[in-house]
Amino acid sequence: MNTNLSMNNIVDWTTTSDLVGNVKVDQVGVLDRVSSLATRSIKRESKLDALEKIVSMCDLTTLEGEDTEGKIIQMSSKAISPDPSDDNVPSAAAVCVYPALVSTAKKIVKDSNVKVASVSSYFPSGQAPIESKISDTQFAIDEGADEIDIVINRKAFFEGDYKKVYEEIKALKDVCGEIHLKTILEIGELKTYENIKKASVIALCAGSDFIKTSTGKISNGSSREACLIMARTVREFESYGYGIRGIKVAGGIRDAKDAIRYLVIINEELGGSWLSADYFRFGASSLLDDVLKQIKKLKTNAYQSSYYFPRG
Amino acid sequence: MTEVKKTYKHYVDGKFVRSESGKVYAIDLKKEKYEIPLTSKKDLRDAVTSSKAGFAKWNSLTMYNKSQILYRLSEMIEGNKESYISLLQQHGLTKNDSKNDVEDAVNTIIWYAGIVDKWEQLTGNLNPVAGDYFNISHQEPIGVTFSLSSDDISLNSLVKSFLPAMSVGCSVISFTNQNAVLALKLSEDINNSDFPSGSLNILTGNFENIVEDVGAHVEIRLAAIYSNISNDLLETLDVKGSDSVKRIVNLPSDEGLGSIIPFVETKTVWHPKGQ
Amino acid sequence: MNNWEYAESIESEKIVKIEKKYGHFINGEFVSPNSKKYLDTISPSSEEVLSSISIGNEKDVDFAVNAAKEGLKQWSKTSPSERSKYLFKLARLIQERSREFAVLESLDGGKPIKESRDFDLPQVAQNFFYYAGWADKIDLAWGSGISKPYGVVGQIIPWNFPLLMLSWKVAPALATGNTVVLKPAETTPLTALLFAELCDEVGLPKGVFNLITGDGTTGSELVNHKDIKKIAFTGSTSVGKYIQKSLAGRDVGLTLELGGKAANIVYNDAALDEAVEGVVNGIFFNQGHVCCAGSRLLVQEDIHDVFINKLEKRMQTLRVGNPLDKNTDIGAINSKDQLDKITDLVNEGVSDGGELFQIECELPKNGFWFKPSLFTGVQANYKIATEEIFGPVLTTLTFRTPDEAVEIANNTEYGLSAGIWTEKGSKILWTADRLDAGVIWANTFNKFDPASPFGGYKESGFGREGGRHGLLSYLKASS
Repeated sequence: MNTNLSMNNIVDWTTTSDLVGNVKVDQVGVLDRVSSLATRSIKRESKLDALEKIVSMCDLTTLEGEDTEGKIIQMSSKAISPDPSDDNVPSAAAVCVYPALVSTAKKIVKDSNVKVASVSSYFPSGQAPIESKISDTQFAIDEGADEIDIVINRKAFFEGDYKKVYEEIKALKDVCGEIHLKTILEIGELKTYENIKKASVIALCAGSDFIKTSTGKISNGSSREACLIMARTVREFESYGYGIRGIKVAGGIRDAKDAIRYLVIINEELGGSWLSADYFRFGASSLLDDVLKQIKKLKTNAYQSSYYFPRG
Repeated sequence: MTEVKKTYKHYVDGKFVRSESGKVYAIDLKKEKYEIPLTSKKDLRDAVTSSKAGFAKWNSLTMYNKSQILYRLSEMIEGNKESYISLLQQHGLTKNDSKNDVEDAVNTIIWYAGIVDKWEQLTGNLNPVAGDYFNISHQEPIGVTFSLSSDDISLNSLVKSFLPAMSVGCSVISFTNQNAVLALKLSEDINNSDFPSGSLNILTGNFENIVEDVGAHVEIRLAAIYSNISNDLLETLDVKGSDSVKRIVNLPSDEGLGSIIPFVETKTVWHPKGQ
Repeated sequence: MNNWEYAESIESEKIVKIEKKYGHFINGEFVSPNSKKYLDTISPSSEEVLSSISIGNEKDVDFAVNAAKEGLKQWSKTSPSERSKYLFKLARLIQERSREFAVLESLDGGKPIKESRDFDLPQVAQNFFYYAGWADKIDLAWGSGISKPYGVVGQIIPWNFPLLMLSWKVAPALATGNTVVLKPAETTPLTALLFAELCDEVGLPKGVFNLITGDGTTGSELVNHKDIKKIAFTGSTSVGKYIQKSLAGRDVGLTLELGGKAANIVYNDAALDEAVEGVVNGIFFNQGHVCCAGSRLLVQEDIHDVFINKLEKRMQTLRVGNPLDKNTDIGAINSKDQLDKITDLVNEGVSDGGELFQIECELPKNGFWFKPSLFTGVQANYKIATEEIFGPVLTTLTFRTPDEAVEIANNTEYGLSAGIWTEKGSKILWTADRLDAGVIWANTFNKFDPASPFGGYKESGFGREGGRHGLLSYLKASS
């Protein structure tokens, strides 16, 4: 089944077009499954295990106009050692910043296993010519980014020009080469589950290593339903022999309980082998603190205050 | 000139046929003695086979079409009104009662002709389920039915024994003993009303002879008993019918919505509502 | 290495209080059985004895029916709006004590707590709520010509959804002005006994609801009692036929909700991931102890391999075990008898030549368990393709065209339910029109609602429960 796959996990356009044309999702069925999975009761050691996994899967993120070098240095230090009082708490997976701040972050994390991810492609709107997106991306890579988070061209998507969406992602994957490419679908704008699935298919066919729910810049960021649909798409790609791809959920995931529910979806739909930072990430700003609090609570049996943890 | 006498026959599969057994029974009216074919077990089986095919044909017609065919029957009876009145008088009814009965029968048929394309609006509905589902209950005809008509000498009683089932799309094997002369006369008008063959079969004879077979024949999905039969007969019918969970309706209502409810199955269909 | 195990998360049993011994509930109080005989009710997940229940004999039944006759005098004098309020109050009490009921249901019957908690109990309360509102609107339902109660109604319910089936029977019967003698299943009487306590608590007039426990002989006595005006039965087709036969020649109303062998038709243009979920829910819900279970998977031949592959992967994630563990998907088989029956049929399926897939999982040592199972390579003449297994066993057949799908689906004496999976609307309606089944789920399965009528075609029984149509089961034409 590997015949339509070229280098870099790219599936040719004809096949992509067929797959997109074949997309079928039943909304109520998806809602049912997600609400049923939400009843999983995660307690004690499995909860601690989950929380520590979540920390290791966090892309600690700041994407603001007001970001300064000082802010990035602070956040990067926190990513390396989220809870200095507990050696068992792992590092975060990465820090995620704008291209102009990549080199700052890189200086801090360079000796750790924390990666630097940069958004690019005229994040968050993506409303720019492909040449600009390419140079934006090339700049971030030149600055030392290990991972690139791009946005899909929603304008082209809603105009029905799926090929353009595909070609742009493919062009940016070309720029990235071995660098990890995460493609943001912005599910809150796509709205329907069929759109989410179509965009997932296009992004994966075009060579994305990860598909990601949201920029975090709109109010309907991530949703567990979108995560389920994306997970099933990733599962299909594996079964077609198109390689193992990852998922990043970002936007509005603020507490540990919610994050665990995402983890349950991945665990049950994709299986335990996806439960690592290689294949699953959380885009996080406030989530991490809640998770750290919960870990401390499980270990000390006392509810925590955020002032026990360093600012990110 | 020698009078030519009509041979009375069963009406099965759109044709007038003798009992395969060749047996007859007599209905002796003052003026005339009628030789009526006596239904055998084989006659019943043949009628069921015809009714099975007749159900498919009748049920596939649009409600509008079925409605017009039933209405056509009332027109035919109206056209032959005098001969029905005379026949009823032969049975001992007064002229006035006979006339009323025929007019009642016509009105009954027209009532059912008019409900064919409406009953489902009265018996079905959307169900307000708690969730994102479209949920509708609608009705379908049960299928091949057997109907034992009342022994009251009455054209109106006779038509009431098959109209409820016919109006919802069931095929009917209408069976009668004492109303045989009327029934076989009626079958001529039925034959002229564009009913698909087998949708309405008319048999005559003794119910005792066939009760076990009516109960046991799996293709008959419902037996409606409009006549006051003995407990023994009813018990036999129930016992035989229970092997195939047959619907057996003793003395069903013969008017209004209640008259047709026994002949329908409720089908409920769910579908999610989503984007 | 990345495997993430869910730790046990056990719902506490402490919330329930089970007596050592129970009498019948007759005329508003618990009474010792005339028979002086008891039988044990056990937990099918541990085989531990939970309690002893009375076996009703002829005298016990007579006592109960007479109480219901007396109760009828009071109940028919009770205004419809008062009847309505009693049912509303019952609904509220059930909601309040739903956790207790849910634990008891899972203990006594073996179903996973997540189902008794999230499905059975909410449905039970909603069902009382729904029919409560009908009590003073009976004339509006089918017209004043069809609005009279039967009188004393005998109700016999099965062990797969004990309290839910009680609510399906009792709520409409009481709303329409009948009084009730109910016999719960021999293996799952405990929630019905707890329900009897609630009837007392809401002050339901004595004799309106009577409960008689026991085995098949008790049920038989109830059916044969001369003063019963109507029997409502849910259970196996063979017992249903026996009841119909027992009532032969008697002027007793009857509704039957019997077995099924439902086809779940998956067309090649279905949303396959959701179809997989629906098929799993269709057969593994409540261990497959569901009369309307989608036990025959009809999959279009060109997607057979893809679909089965998805299905097997999904099945492997099912968690079998302690019904009180909140993460259990598949609980215990209800009884040793039922387990033996399932085992025999599955063995026969294998020896007939069916290809059996069972998930890999560890089963508890005590109790009755069966691994979720899927048969492929099945021919239409195999027993597993025609007989109701009533367990977590799915049988697969293939079809080529919609006509063929309908033909296979209808090729059974049953006609309770069916499923259709396709994204094409007109094909859903075309198929639904042709399936001989009382409930058809399109792009979903095993959905229930008090407002939605349920019941079968053909040998799956007659009469409906639920919705406006459910009232007809307890009303006579007033001629």
